Amino acid sequence: MTGATNGRLREISRRTALGALGVGIVGATVASWPRLSGTDIPGRGDNSLSIAIMGTAADAAARQRAIDAFTRLHPEIRIKVQAIQAVDWKDFFTKILTMVAAGTPPDVVYVATEGAQLFADKLAHPLDEYLRRDAADMAEYFDDVHPSLVEAFMYKGSLYQLPMDWNAANMYYNTTAFRQAGLDRPADDWTHLDFRNSLVAMRKARPADFTPYYWTNRLFGGVVPWLYANETSFLKETRSTGGDWLWDGFYAKDPSRSLRSGGYQWLEPNADDPRVFESFDYLRGLVKDGLGVRPEEGGGNSLVGLFASNRIGTTPAGGYWVQGLHEAGMKENDFDVQFFPKWKSQRHQFGTAGYAIMKTAKDKDAAWEWIKFSASREAMELIFPNPVTTPARRSMVNEQLYTGKGPAHWKVFYDTLDKYPTTGPIPAPPQQAAVETALMKNVSLAVSGDERQLKEALGSMQRDLELALRRQS
Amino acid sequence: MTTTSERTQAPAHAVARRKTSWNTVLRVVLLLIAAALTLGPVLWTLSTSLRSPSESFKLPPSFFPWNPDFTSYAQVFQQLDMVILVLNSALVTGLIAVGQMVSAAMAGYAFANLKFRGRGALFSIVLATMMVPVQVTIVPVFMLIRGMGLSDTLLALILPAIPTAFGTFLMRQYFLGLPADLAEAAAIDGASPWRTFRSVYAPLAVPGMAIVGILAFNFHWNEFFRPLIMTISEKNFTLPLGLVSLQGNMGTGSISVVLAGVVLSMIPALVVFIFGQRALQAGLTAGTGK
Amino acid sequence: MSTTTRHRAEPAGKVAPPAAHAKAGRHSQPWLAWLFLAPTILGMGMFTLLPIVASVVLAFFRWDIISAPTFVGFDNFAEVVQDPTVRVSFVNTLVFVVVAVALQMGLALGLAIMVQEKLPAWLRTFFRSAFFFPLILSAASVSIFMRYLFNEQFGVVNWLLSLVGIPAVPWLTTSGGSAAVVILVYVWQNFGFSFLLFVGGLASIPVETYEAASLDGATGWRKHLHVTLPLLSPTTLLASVMAIISALQVFDQPYVLTRGGPGDSTRTAVMVIFESAFQRLEFGQASAIGVILTLIIMAITAAQFRLSKRFVFYQ
Repeated sequence: MTGATNGRLREISRRTALGALGVGIVGATVASWPRLSGTDIPGRGDNSLSIAIMGTAADAAARQRAIDAFTRLHPEIRIKVQAIQAVDWKDFFTKILTMVAAGTPPDVVYVATEGAQLFADKLAHPLDEYLRRDAADMAEYFDDVHPSLVEAFMYKGSLYQLPMDWNAANMYYNTTAFRQAGLDRPADDWTHLDFRNSLVAMRKARPADFTPYYWTNRLFGGVVPWLYANETSFLKETRSTGGDWLWDGFYAKDPSRSLRSGGYQWLEPNADDPRVFESFDYLRGLVKDGLGVRPEEGGGNSLVGLFASNRIGTTPAGGYWVQGLHEAGMKENDFDVQFFPKWKSQRHQFGTAGYAIMKTAKDKDAAWEWIKFSASREAMELIFPNPVTTPARRSMVNEQLYTGKGPAHWKVFYDTLDKYPTTGPIPAPPQQAAVETALMKNVSLAVSGDERQLKEALGSMQRDLELALRRQS
Repeated sequence: MTTTSERTQAPAHAVARRKTSWNTVLRVVLLLIAAALTLGPVLWTLSTSLRSPSESFKLPPSFFPWNPDFTSYAQVFQQLDMVILVLNSALVTGLIAVGQMVSAAMAGYAFANLKFRGRGALFSIVLATMMVPVQVTIVPVFMLIRGMGLSDTLLALILPAIPTAFGTFLMRQYFLGLPADLAEAAAIDGASPWRTFRSVYAPLAVPGMAIVGILAFNFHWNEFFRPLIMTISEKNFTLPLGLVSLQGNMGTGSISVVLAGVVLSMIPALVVFIFGQRALQAGLTAGTGK
Repeated sequence: MSTTTRHRAEPAGKVAPPAAHAKAGRHSQPWLAWLFLAPTILGMGMFTLLPIVASVVLAFFRWDIISAPTFVGFDNFAEVVQDPTVRVSFVNTLVFVVVAVALQMGLALGLAIMVQEKLPAWLRTFFRSAFFFPLILSAASVSIFMRYLFNEQFGVVNWLLSLVGIPAVPWLTTSGGSAAVVILVYVWQNFGFSFLLFVGGLASIPVETYEAASLDGATGWRKHLHVTLPLLSPTTLLASVMAIISALQVFDQPYVLTRGGPGDSTRTAVMVIFESAFQRLEFGQASAIGVILTLIIMAITAAQFRLSKRFVFYQ
């Protein structure tokens, strides 16, 4: 009897609860509709200028002061910055292409060297007409920016981006590890053999739990700096003609004027070059003798922590690393930076980034105004208050930026360009994604086996690169 | 296990007993090793997330956070808009779960209790969709979503995930497990088939639906691939995507911050684990009856 | 309805044999059935079946999203079949499935038998929860922390091995090592699923069966070989079908752990689909690979069910 009543009661209360739950769910769905349909995202669907950058909300917020300053200057242009989170540039470009596919491309995209030619070839609008029009205003910018950076954004005689920030692959070293091994600061023109000797000394001083040379398998800072120093690369590097309008217009008096061209071109694979073999063989030797690690693909996520905990002697990195090391607790004298070691030459590898206007942009004039403003010293100071990257303007790579954070020899950063004007960009043809994969997937095998395995890996790299370069995109 | 009273049994028996108890010890030791291997990495993650970045690579590792340092957690909140990530994940997984519960219950009921032509064939087709990798259909789905004007919205994640083959399969099993005379009794009382479902079967199926809901929650809370493709704006990101981006470009991410993010993302799943474990285990084993 | 046999432990989910139910569905109102099915069938039609058809069609076109698609006939299939990376990725996927599923099933079955034998209730609950726990984590975050654990120089795994005198293993930087890591991480996270299926299956084996076997003199592993395994075969079929289907689609682990490298050693079929579609914008080729993969999955599943007719023992 009571059981039955109980049962019915339970039945009723269960039904009431279910009903309430149902109403609650419908209510919650209705209330969150703007979130579900994305209509609560400000600026969506209106005609403001949408700018895509790689980063997080924090990075977008860091640009707010620059945006405010821009709005004071151009109250008629509304700016919307979209921070797009990505693991690496390849991932970021995938997202931008997805936006294009979704029919909602941004108007302006912050593109690094890795994607410069992909965008120039397919998606971006050249800046030439604007630069000619506003030449007088722009002279000051080009005076302050090294032409090597600008040339990286030349494609078939046209300029597609203005460099905003950049980084070269210099050599960071842990000063404590150097001292323990009885080493002084290396000379500016230390060679790859000197470098190897320092690694040996560090290995002797700390036999375990320590890596003299840590490196990662990436397009930037991986194997490429060793190829550049050896005056070669995994792709045949040629230049296109043209671009004299820019060089004569802005860099007529630059000592490296004669080196400049209409842009880099990477059309053929070059992994079968004997000097490529030589560089790889050198790295293979480091790995074999326990001086360097076998590089992880896409690795480097743990690099700051490892370096900050004094477990790494040297690693290639650029100015972007300073803030991270500072935040990980390294004092300004705990680490320092030196040029990449010399081999045949001391040509460095660098990567740079800047805004590109999309072909599909509704208001290209407004987009140009944003780019022009971003290139101004005022905007750059608002955007780069900390050494999370190296500003493209020479005058901003100064004492003030590195005080209290290190490294002591921060001058190395911009001197890399000024002292070695042949320093070149990350090799990245329009087929960047496929080329990068073709390189990276063969590096680990190449450096972690015997000579035969190295030859095989380079052979397969050559084949993979051929295939990659033949692709349409 | 062995009690004193058992020890006083006949000698032959005692030998057998001792043998089983040695077996038991070995068994428990093996199980403990397996449990340590299963939980160890998670404990390490937790304790490393509570250390300062410069200590994160100390060996021997610690598996217990003795002196917790919460700066990495503060960093996570600084770098990621955790509120919006959690809200998005909750909305997406919640609505998918509810949608799956309702649609799977209805479809499962039809497959179990209603007769119609082509039932077997249709059920096979539903099951067969489980075999198609999501990567195969993602491009057309993406274009479809674009056509519906839903690009880069949470709805783009929710709508395609509502029809569920596994949920339908589970609910069918569940309804098959309910006594058939319920329907007969209801029919004798003159209840329409719809009423029979609503008043008799649906309430009884709530535990089954809960299983479908929890499974959906667990799967979609952790889903990585579809959000990777379907969402672009950071405002529409779900937790796993936010986490991966914590790793930082060019190795500027810090291990303890990354792991702090991992730990934070575990919390909701952990809550579901604690409260829904029973039902979830039941759900996963439900299909094994036959 | 529910069987009256004594169970060795309470089955986690009570599901009566469907046989008892055969006569239940006798309402012949097809429109009602279709009404009930509408949300699922329409949804699947739209978001699964239609896209499958579209995918097959797309496989005959060259399309990069930016420009208009062009019809290329069987070119995509021809190119894909000759592409060494695609071939390797399919071989990798098959090897991965065989090894990972075998490990997963073996581990799960062994642990399930050990847990279901006499054990204090709280300990049994603890073990069940522990083995189940990794399932609730996301594969992406698991891969993130496993990557640190397997680091050659600084990882905990190599440190543990060094305690017993094993030199540092280059886990993520050699072909064999990274394949092993992807498999271990995958199995670590997923064996709990098969484990629970087996626990459920074991719980539904009547105690009498074992008593009868004991009378016949069967003990220990012989008992399991001759009684448990045959009676568990329906569970084994279900568990292996599900394990194989999900292992064939593995993506998150290799994507985060190794990005498919070094070389192509951990590149799986779905990774190649992802890369050619979203990184190289070759949507036609991606679709062609997808179509081939789907056909393979279907063939494998069909083969399993065919085999099961011979080897699965129904009570």
